[in-house]
Amino acid sequence: MAARAIWKGTLVLGKHEVPIKMYSAVQDQAVHFHLLHDKDLTPVEQRIVRKDNGREVPKEAQRKAFPLDDQRAVILEPEELAQLAPESDRAIHLLRFVPRDALGDEWFERPYYLGPDGQSDADYFALASALAGKERIGIARWVMRDKRYVGALAVGDDGYLRMTTLRRSEQVLDVPAVRPDKARTPSPAEIKLAEQLVDSITGPFSPEEWHNEYRERLHKLIEAKAKGAKLKLVAAKPKEATSDLAESLRASLAQAKGKKVA
Amino acid sequence: MRSFWSGTITFGLVSIPVDLFAAVVPRQKSMKLVDDEGHPLGRRYWCPKHEKVLDDDELVRGYETDAGKVVVVTDEEFASAAPEKSRDIELKRFVALDDIPPFFFDRPYFLAPDERAGKAYALLAETMAKTGKAGIGSFVMRDHEYLVAIVSEQGMLRAEVLRYVDELRTPEAIGLPKAGKVVAAREREFAKEIDALAEAKVDPAELADLEAETLRTFAEQKAKSGKGVVSMAELEGDEDSAASSAQVIDLMQVLRDSLGASAAKGKPAAESPAAERKPAARKTTAAKKATAKQATAAKTAKKTKRAAG
Repeated sequence: MAARAIWKGTLVLGKHEVPIKMYSAVQDQAVHFHLLHDKDLTPVEQRIVRKDNGREVPKEAQRKAFPLDDQRAVILEPEELAQLAPESDRAIHLLRFVPRDALGDEWFERPYYLGPDGQSDADYFALASALAGKERIGIARWVMRDKRYVGALAVGDDGYLRMTTLRRSEQVLDVPAVRPDKARTPSPAEIKLAEQLVDSITGPFSPEEWHNEYRERLHKLIEAKAKGAKLKLVAAKPKEATSDLAESLRASLAQAKGKKVA
Repeated sequence: MRSFWSGTITFGLVSIPVDLFAAVVPRQKSMKLVDDEGHPLGRRYWCPKHEKVLDDDELVRGYETDAGKVVVVTDEEFASAAPEKSRDIELKRFVALDDIPPFFFDRPYFLAPDERAGKAYALLAETMAKTGKAGIGSFVMRDHEYLVAIVSEQGMLRAEVLRYVDELRTPEAIGLPKAGKVVAAREREFAKEIDALAEAKVDPAELADLEAETLRTFAEQKAKSGKGVVSMAELEGDEDSAASSAQVIDLMQVLRDSLGASAAKGKPAAESPAAERKPAARKTTAAKKATAKQATAAKTAKKTKRAAG
């Protein structure tokens, strides 16, 4: 089943314009539940109420307030917000191209595929091919449905263009640099053992090997319960911390090696 | 101070007790919901049949089967679906970090060692850094299973939540057209344009939140006229903002306490405006400091339809 494009736009690169369609690259697989009143399982609704008296407030009377500082916020009227909305011209402006590792994984938020749009897909594939030869990603800015986005344009091994939206500076927290004190610094011998252990269970990243077992078991549990089966419940037990590190590493290595032979 | 999740990372027979903290936060200048007179508003669950507001302990989760039957799943049953995974992240496989395609990365968390972690935390961090590898495992938190890559950055372990392969579409599934023949001259033109825009680094200004800036400028202007100004003290009754301000944690302190660490001193968050902060790549080495907010959980918990899995 072919997916529907969520948006159409134009990649603007210097004097070139390449029309594209945007498709979500992710699909929700979560198990969805309704919230019910425990008394008789009536599905509940959400209401927006005044916090001081619990009275429901209709949509027309709801406003947004922008916090200025710790003391004050300013109510912004709907017409003011509409006036402040960025202008949408469907242009995705490419600002610069940086080496692929210029941005860490923590900046990447939501991925989209870009597909060709319009009469010809020749420019789309020419651009994808040009970008593939560069080991770079393009930083792009655009307005979609009255919202501003910043994204990284890349090309995959499959030859298709993709755009991943980026988080804003204030959203990504800095990594604190820490060095453990002596008592908590592993010895070179321990590190060597750990490297051997890691090596022994190193392999390619094969995403199809990883299943969401929790989701699968949840589906089974629901099925069983729908049929009226009685369920056995199990609780979690916490683990002990490792006390003798070198000994644990050696034992793990022996175990890993044993598994390989078997 | 509270972490999102506490549990144990295991690889082989080595176990490392850790606490999980957010490494990314929601956009900070989120607007508050008020009525036209400025009274703070909130969301409440409402039973249309009994015509009353419901508390959280009066709610249950029901799954509607294809046959239209509603199956109630209790909290104990949710917990029972994968009990061992609610406590442990077993690293079953190590992979080269560069082997993981960017599309898989969903959301990063910091892992701070529990004080019982001893040397094992630093051992894993150093081994990951030396080998450029990531440990892959999965765990359960708030009724969802997460696939994670445990990676090391500057002595600190991070859990990068990865998407499961069935959560990602493929170009074939979307129905993207097959590539035709590329006109070499056209490709060269595009390559030239790319070269013209080539830079070594990202400009932090490009990652600034322009929306918030526009709103702030307008709001400050409007405040001068005195129109529409409401007191924030009143709005602080709001559970979302209460959650975010009360639970601000000093991750540096957590690390110092648990590692006995000689942590590099960073500037307090207030002195390092977002615009000055440089986007950090996987292997950069700036000494910084972090403040983690725990607002995400409070926000995502308020929906009439809840997801799990």
